[in-house]
Amino acid sequence: MTKTYEEINERIRSGKAVVMTAEEVVDLVREKGAERAAEEVDVVTTGTFGAMCSSGAFVNFGHADPPIRMTDIRLNGVEAYGGLAAVDTYIGATSLIDPPGTGYGGAHVIEDLIAGKKVHLQAWGPGTDCYVRKSIDTYITLDDVNEAYLYNPRNMYQNYGVATNTSDRTLYTYMGKLMPRMKNATYSSAGELSPLLNDPHLDTIGMGTRIFLAGGEGYVAWQGTQFSTTAPEVNGVPTQGSRTLAVIGDMKQMDAKYVRGLDITGYGISLAIGIGVPIPVLNKDVMQRCAISNEEIFAEMVDYSIPSKRPCMQRYSYAQLRSGQIEYQGKTVRTSAMSSLHGARDVANTLKDWIEHGELLLNEPCLPMPREGKLKSLMERGV
Amino acid sequence: MEKKFRIDFNESNVLESVTYTLVSEFDLKPNVLRADIGGDGHGFMLVSIVGEKENMVKGMTHLRDLGYGVRELSGHIFHDYDRCWNCGACVSLCPTRSIYYTEDDEIKLNTDTCIACGSCINACSVKAIQLEL
Repeated sequence: MTKTYEEINERIRSGKAVVMTAEEVVDLVREKGAERAAEEVDVVTTGTFGAMCSSGAFVNFGHADPPIRMTDIRLNGVEAYGGLAAVDTYIGATSLIDPPGTGYGGAHVIEDLIAGKKVHLQAWGPGTDCYVRKSIDTYITLDDVNEAYLYNPRNMYQNYGVATNTSDRTLYTYMGKLMPRMKNATYSSAGELSPLLNDPHLDTIGMGTRIFLAGGEGYVAWQGTQFSTTAPEVNGVPTQGSRTLAVIGDMKQMDAKYVRGLDITGYGISLAIGIGVPIPVLNKDVMQRCAISNEEIFAEMVDYSIPSKRPCMQRYSYAQLRSGQIEYQGKTVRTSAMSSLHGARDVANTLKDWIEHGELLLNEPCLPMPREGKLKSLMERGV
Repeated sequence: MEKKFRIDFNESNVLESVTYTLVSEFDLKPNVLRADIGGDGHGFMLVSIVGEKENMVKGMTHLRDLGYGVRELSGHIFHDYDRCWNCGACVSLCPTRSIYYTEDDEIKLNTDTCIACGSCINACSVKAIQLEL
């Protein structure tokens, strides 16, 4: 049995498409097998809602009268990039407020814009014959600006490590607060709901794939930075970070419910964002891969008190991690997530709802993602 | 009944045994959750007290008469459910498991069992938990 994108879209248009979340299909495939499940289900929706630091927004402010070529830009006091044309900028999620220390940064500016709040724009320029003005101080909203879209170079890590701390002091990391002597461990992936764990070799997800991005329609724009295919696999899915995606989407469509500016103690600012990817059930193999469960997906626990090249201490399944505690060499270690499992489910359910109501059609990627990718390290050398 | 109190000390009464008084004179069962005395003799103690309501009122009135600051804690910890994005960074830190995942993986806080240790406060990336002591 095979289905085409067009056949699936026809069923979506006529309101007959059967859509299930990646959690819901686990039991269905266990019960009926992949072949029969693939006949019944047209689309599987996935979701994740976690900190994705490598994110940011392009904004075009429109020209003031007289116009200015902005070279030094602040949004609510947070530095935005001044190296583009006159009134274009890019504000990165981790950009800090000047002076730093208030727990506010680029991610919060993005959240405030999406929430419809007024944002303070201050900009300075050299003043030229064509752009005479040297400074401007005003307030903008998302409605006021011409374009505002997220372009996130690295989102949706396929899998991620489990963080713990064997040292005698508390560590404050991007994986959260890690108590001394392995009192706790944190993990980040949404497991069986996570988009790239349901299509581990990116057979259906590619460039141009239409996705749910923070409550609006978005697209896969490119392979994500640090795209890697070399991680060891268990049950057909990688046990480490591995593949990533770059995504793009119109901020004016987004819902602040799926966006959070984060201030992670000891680390800095990050952006939590909800992303969902629909997977077309083209055949039983696609169905089988979507049916992967938390029992079958593993992640590697590493010790964050080691500064670099952290070796794997032990592998744990997401079923173990989600139980609230794991065992390590006879010691009980409490676990919790650094990403929102409730949010991931909400994303997958909302995307399901969109597709069931014909509001989002699936599309074939215009270019597949690379089959291979290997991480390079930064070499330190002279000339 | 069980109630939590914050009891404040100063130089004049820091050497008195408050918990012994509550046990021996008022038949109360105090459980010290936290205590911190500074070098200037000022400090505070968080106690959870089990006993008859009448005894509790009498005991606390007695402490007030002796010059202690006594304040009942009820809304001592506040969880902003609108701001919370249900990430769970706080869950594995809570020593009394007062912060937990619901069936649908929402994060909830049981204020009854919270001992106000404050471990979750700086673990929250959106400042959704506030401790007011």
